[in-house]
Amino acid sequence: MNVRSLLRPFFAILPLSLLALTSSGCGQEVVRGANDPSIDGKAMSTGLDKEDIQRALHETLNNLRIAPVMNEWRAQNPPPNVAIFPFQNSTSEHIDSMLDAMLGEAETWLVESGTVQVISRERQTQMIREVEGQQNAVFNPANTAKYGRQLGAKYLITGKVSGNDERTDDARRVQYFLFLQVIEVETSVIKWQRKTYVTKAVR
Amino acid sequence: MAAALPRALTALAVGASLWLVGCGGHEARTLTMRTALDAGNAKAAIAAVDEQLDVDSPKKLPADIKGDNAILVLDRASIQQGLSEFSLSQRDFEAADKAIDMLDLAHNAGDSIGEYVFSGSSGRYQAPPYEKLMINTLNMLNYLERRDLGGAKVEARRLAVLQKYYRDKLERPENPVLGLGSMLAGFAYEQSGEAEEALRYYDDALAFTGFRALGESVRRLAARAQYRSPRITALLGEGPHDAPAQDDTGEVLFVVGHGRVPHKVANRLPIGLVLTLFASSLSPGDREAANRLAAQGLVTWVNFPSLAPGRGKYETPTCTLDGAAVTLDQAVDVDAAVREEWKSIEGKIIVSAITRLIARFAVGQGIQAAAGKDSVVGLLASLGAQATLTVLDEPDTRSWETLPARVAVARVRLPVGLHHVTLDARGWNRQQDFTVTKGSWQVVSLMALR
Repeated sequence: MNVRSLLRPFFAILPLSLLALTSSGCGQEVVRGANDPSIDGKAMSTGLDKEDIQRALHETLNNLRIAPVMNEWRAQNPPPNVAIFPFQNSTSEHIDSMLDAMLGEAETWLVESGTVQVISRERQTQMIREVEGQQNAVFNPANTAKYGRQLGAKYLITGKVSGNDERTDDARRVQYFLFLQVIEVETSVIKWQRKTYVTKAVR
Repeated sequence: MAAALPRALTALAVGASLWLVGCGGHEARTLTMRTALDAGNAKAAIAAVDEQLDVDSPKKLPADIKGDNAILVLDRASIQQGLSEFSLSQRDFEAADKAIDMLDLAHNAGDSIGEYVFSGSSGRYQAPPYEKLMINTLNMLNYLERRDLGGAKVEARRLAVLQKYYRDKLERPENPVLGLGSMLAGFAYEQSGEAEEALRYYDDALAFTGFRALGESVRRLAARAQYRSPRITALLGEGPHDAPAQDDTGEVLFVVGHGRVPHKVANRLPIGLVLTLFASSLSPGDREAANRLAAQGLVTWVNFPSLAPGRGKYETPTCTLDGAAVTLDQAVDVDAAVREEWKSIEGKIIVSAITRLIARFAVGQGIQAAAGKDSVVGLLASLGAQATLTVLDEPDTRSWETLPARVAVARVRLPVGLHHVTLDARGWNRQQDFTVTKGSWQVVSLMALR
């Protein structure tokens, strides 16, 4: 038994060692959506993403375009003042920023339509502070009509999102129910409402 | 052909070893963090975690949060909370929550095989129920500190989904850490004006001890909500029958976490001693194989984790409000929940450690048999492979180490005006001035993770 034969088993593992060394240190790639649109299509979590928001808004705003309330607005001169208030998030996901983005898109759509005058959101924040006080300057859905009156808005656009979140050993599913509505400030009557559904799951 | 087998087996053994090289064990990765916390230096503890996460700022998340980094992010979230950096803590908790949820939902048979053959720490991390429930509970506290009731209610709903899953699908008994979570959730709903939901959460909290101070809130809510349960009804029967009058006061909730839950430490014990301690946990076949190993000497070591002592068991936190002491009631003993959970899984962990030992022995036997019964090289290769695998068998010491061992609460109504509070525990303190207006609410917390 010589040294060479003793070392032979260790030569056998050389390819494995090299494989281990070369496979470590593989970096991640940063991709631009403009170059690879497919990256927007992939769901990454059970939260709402751009794709969900765009699908939901496409359906909802197409419905608003032909709704009677839109015809009323088109007929009014000067155009009525409309305030946009935050969605109520009643889900188990922190999706407030995406809901804000959704309202932002709806706001842009309304401004571009030229049928209404949209009150700036900065003014609304100031109004919330005036109604709720400095200490509790947080949007309170119960006082929406009060904010609207003080802002001089004739209509409010707001929404709510409810969710059903369930899990098993190897799956989690969140079903979203999104409602967008137009409320007449003076009467609190819901002039238009549309719902859309989004379901996300990890499995 | 016969000579090729020992080479292949040795290559396999050392190849598997290489796969595990670099895993120093979670306990070792967090030693600097724990040492800094023991010294009361939370910022140094965060720096230590950042180093392990390979980020240059506590404001950054690691590029990869999919594996064990999720636990480190969780550790950092708790320490940020202790530093009153609620926004950063919130961001870390949410990132870790998602990552740990994905780990939990992943199903990979290779993890279990690795855990039973190569190393306890080679499997994916599965957070025990108390950890998952405490993520949402402590993050709810972040939102309440930041006066974001919407965010706090999202955490409350996440907590409820998990609670339902553990209770209905896994048929596990209600975890005591739910008491604190339910109390905070009830508080968030109460301050949002949602009386029915608030009462339901308070009812859950009342199932555990330490929440008798909820009486006044329950009476106030019961005056405008229909929800009743045997506990709520009993509580309403005990105290004054009228709801407390609305007056010129505001409400303040103090929450003080102190100490740290026991972390896991690696043990390396001889098979004989382990058999003496845990023989009843083994199947007859495994026990027989293990007994055969007991005589082997050098390489017959069993590697398994156990719990280190917790910290801060005998400490009493204090709350001084406008110069007067306020009594804090213990809301949850997380330390006890950790020990209870450990007791229930310890046997399985020892069994997997002994199974790994038997697997190592089988590798050694295979090498010896292939090389020939009397071959000295075969014997050396067999012992070498077993010794290498023993050294590389890393006990699973992963856990959320910066969970507070205990959490105490106090809830007081205060007259309108400026107030000053000092919260103190284990030499950490937080001083806070706050203004109470009519009907206002406030949450002030301290996490003394020393």
